[in-house]
Amino acid sequence: MPRRGFSSRLPIFLQLPATIVIWSLVGYVLPWLIYSLFHKYLPMKGPVFVGLDNIIALFTDKRLFDAVLRTLYYTGLGTAAEVLLGMAVALVLVNVIRNEVLRFAILVVFLIPMTLSEAIAAHIWLMLLTPQGYINSLLRAVGLPPVGWLSEEMALNSLILADIWQWTPLPLLLIFAARTSIPQEMYEVANLDRISPWTTFRVVTWPHIRDAVVVAALLRFILMYITIDKILLITYGGPGLATEIIGFYVFLQAFSYRNIGYAATLSFATLIAAGLITYVFWRMLTRRG
Amino acid sequence: MGVKKILGIIFLIIYGLFVIGPFYVTVITGFKNINDVFSIPPKLIPFVDFQPTLEAYERVFNTRIIYTFLTSMIVATSATIIALIVSLFAAYGFSRFSKAPMNDDTSFFILLTLRMVPPFAVVLPIFIYWSTFGLYDTYPALIWTYTVFSIPLAVWLLKGFMDSIPTSIEDAAKVDGYNFFSRFRRYVLPLLGAGLAATVALVWLFLWNEFLFALKIAGGKVVTYTAYLPQLKLGQRIQWNVLGAIGTLASIPPIIILILFRKYIIRLYMGR
Repeated sequence: MPRRGFSSRLPIFLQLPATIVIWSLVGYVLPWLIYSLFHKYLPMKGPVFVGLDNIIALFTDKRLFDAVLRTLYYTGLGTAAEVLLGMAVALVLVNVIRNEVLRFAILVVFLIPMTLSEAIAAHIWLMLLTPQGYINSLLRAVGLPPVGWLSEEMALNSLILADIWQWTPLPLLLIFAARTSIPQEMYEVANLDRISPWTTFRVVTWPHIRDAVVVAALLRFILMYITIDKILLITYGGPGLATEIIGFYVFLQAFSYRNIGYAATLSFATLIAAGLITYVFWRMLTRRG
Repeated sequence: MGVKKILGIIFLIIYGLFVIGPFYVTVITGFKNINDVFSIPPKLIPFVDFQPTLEAYERVFNTRIIYTFLTSMIVATSATIIALIVSLFAAYGFSRFSKAPMNDDTSFFILLTLRMVPPFAVVLPIFIYWSTFGLYDTYPALIWTYTVFSIPLAVWLLKGFMDSIPTSIEDAAKVDGYNFFSRFRRYVLPLLGAGLAATVALVWLFLWNEFLFALKIAGGKVVTYTAYLPQLKLGQRIQWNVLGAIGTLASIPPIIILILFRKYIIRLYMGR
């Protein structure tokens, strides 16, 4: 019995250690979030049951609504720019650099920003964007007027620029990998048949890299949505509310305003949104494989 | 052909400057005197534009800043080890028994969703969790939190590497009467080899780079280098040169990992 019992239950035993470690934390976080959905935390007193007040507040919160729009702008524009730039660099790199060792070396250099900490990238860009920083001193040196990179009008775009710098390597890598898996003969045939570059791209390249482009876009979209490090460190949501995206608003509600119940409600809603995006992502990945 | 190739090379050079420029500026700022940091025109070439100094590095090595690097290293390494041990078993289950309960695709998906959880949405409950145990701002709290969030990545990477090891050897060993642990130790672990090393490196790298949990689950007594960075902005003047030095030092491990494991990092995205 013991031997036979062990080997038939082996798969479950294999999962136990990881499951226990994960649930030791998630087993608290998840129930706490659900409990706090319906409670308000008053200082010096315990939680007070408030029914659906938190959830109703969610739908009437103008500041949240603005943050959602800003998030869509930030993640949407950032993702589009990173994927398009990454695709352009990947395709040019493969087409122009024929020597594979050199091509690979250039690729590795291009990947550097992606491996650095968000916190370090944030400070690198703070150094460049700050009013008397490197970009403005360069502009002044060539006789151009300085730009208010972190002003109310520009700050969100500047954050997108910093993100483009750090994360274009991800789509670049994915699309590079897909592009190099296309047999070179297909391009030679297209060349012999005198097919135009645009048609070659549409008929030969695009069908092979489409999945990589979709995966890269979804991955960047969700990662931009869940990461607030740059906003926290470069602008802290400011000036005013100019760079307050959802994640940062949740962070402020939790740690600055101490609206614990409402912060939990926001957290729960953002978790569900992340879950939905991940589900779409997973479906696309499994359909591909 | 010629014109197109030249335009392509120009494009790559411009993108290359965009990639390297900000990083270059960070490295040279670390070698500047604070008064040389910003000027018009900017001082960009060491020995020509400015006299490099080790002032900022002396600040880093003679103050507690150097301990923040040590803290990052301890926390990331401990969490990587624990996560790796439990993930090896889980990944083996997902790879070999994908029909069994808790090992099927749905369970695997649920595990992976943990990777996509927004840190900002869970950092408050985790903060409260550790506070109730009196463990807020301690090594165990940060290490355990890091372990939990590393497991999905470790399992995902290891499962991929295990899927590429043929099962026939294990089956033969099973017929020969080896029990599970000796099969695992003799015929799975050694074959993982470099895949195991790549997993360790990537999991460790994500933890080395982590910021939000380091700031809010710890950050008072247990301070990683990422959580220390905001403190440089306190006071009347930002210490840009110290920032440059920290940025340079913090980037050494990621760049070493990228160079050592470049093939694996790139292969991860190839056809899988």
